[in-house]
Amino acid sequence: MFGRNLKWTLLRLVIWSVLCVVVFKLLFIHIRVDGISMLPTCADKSTYWVSRLAYLWHEPQRGDIVAIRFVTPDNSISRLEPPHIVLLKRIIGLPGETISFVNGRALINGVILDEPYETLDCNWNCAPVTLGPDQYYVVGDNRSMPPEDHTHGKCERNQIVGKARL
Amino acid sequence: MKMLLRLLLLAALIAAGVWLWTIIFPGPEKIIRKRLAQAASEASFKSGENPLTSAARAETLAGFFSTNVELNINLPEHGPHNLTGRDEIIQAAAGARSLAGSLKVELPDMNITVGPDKLSAVADVVVQVQTAGNKDFYVQEMKFTFQKIGGDWLITRVETVRTLS
Repeated sequence: MFGRNLKWTLLRLVIWSVLCVVVFKLLFIHIRVDGISMLPTCADKSTYWVSRLAYLWHEPQRGDIVAIRFVTPDNSISRLEPPHIVLLKRIIGLPGETISFVNGRALINGVILDEPYETLDCNWNCAPVTLGPDQYYVVGDNRSMPPEDHTHGKCERNQIVGKARL
Repeated sequence: MKMLLRLLLLAALIAAGVWLWTIIFPGPEKIIRKRLAQAASEASFKSGENPLTSAARAETLAGFFSTNVELNINLPEHGPHNLTGRDEIIQAAAGARSLAGSLKVELPDMNITVGPDKLSAVADVVVQVQTAGNKDFYVQEMKFTFQKIGGDWLITRVETVRTLS
């Protein structure tokens, strides 16, 4: 069980423990989907990894599936702590854009957004929403449900925890 | 090597001292976190709870709120509900016990902002509720406003928050 040198074995144990905590607690979060708002892309009860490194070097992109925290974190060190519950949504609107839904189609600045992942029937009509400089518009892929039953809308950049790896 | 060990020991002692200090003299944020966790625990109940215990726990739950507390709850599937004062909280707690077989309330994530006067605070909280026989749970973002009244941090206002709005 132990190597020849107990000191080195213990040191290796500490390093591996720290590495595991950093990787599986801070850098990647394992999530389980609970609900149907991301169907058909993400099935209910399916599990995914969320990378918190994804947006270190570039900002979130349209079409990314992201984990969003409910409670906006403060600027203390506690913001590094991953949330226990997140929303899994797709980014369709980027900062400064105006998003609306007309007859089930998402419009970005008045132009229809091509969404090949949208395969379910949708008849949403939602008034235009203009995003602030740090805001993104997120929505689930399952828009066959009424818009009032589907959590969607603006989220702040610091609410985005990371990118889901499907 | 000896010097390094001494330094490490000193660092460990300082860390232990700081930790002990926070245990003996917790800050407002820690106190509020603890009170919210206690309130969630008192709001939870199991099936077959003794009526006397239920009544006592409802009273205990009401004790976390100020006498003039206001609750504005607006849930998508249930519409708006407004409660005022501790008596209405006790009634609501009793009503919940008669409607649901069991209830488990947890607060997995929260962010607490203490006011500059250190006499008021706002807690943004994720409330997770699970009812009897239901594997799925209901999640709602809520805002709790606290005030330090008579040395105790009491909830003066509770409101639901519409996530992503």
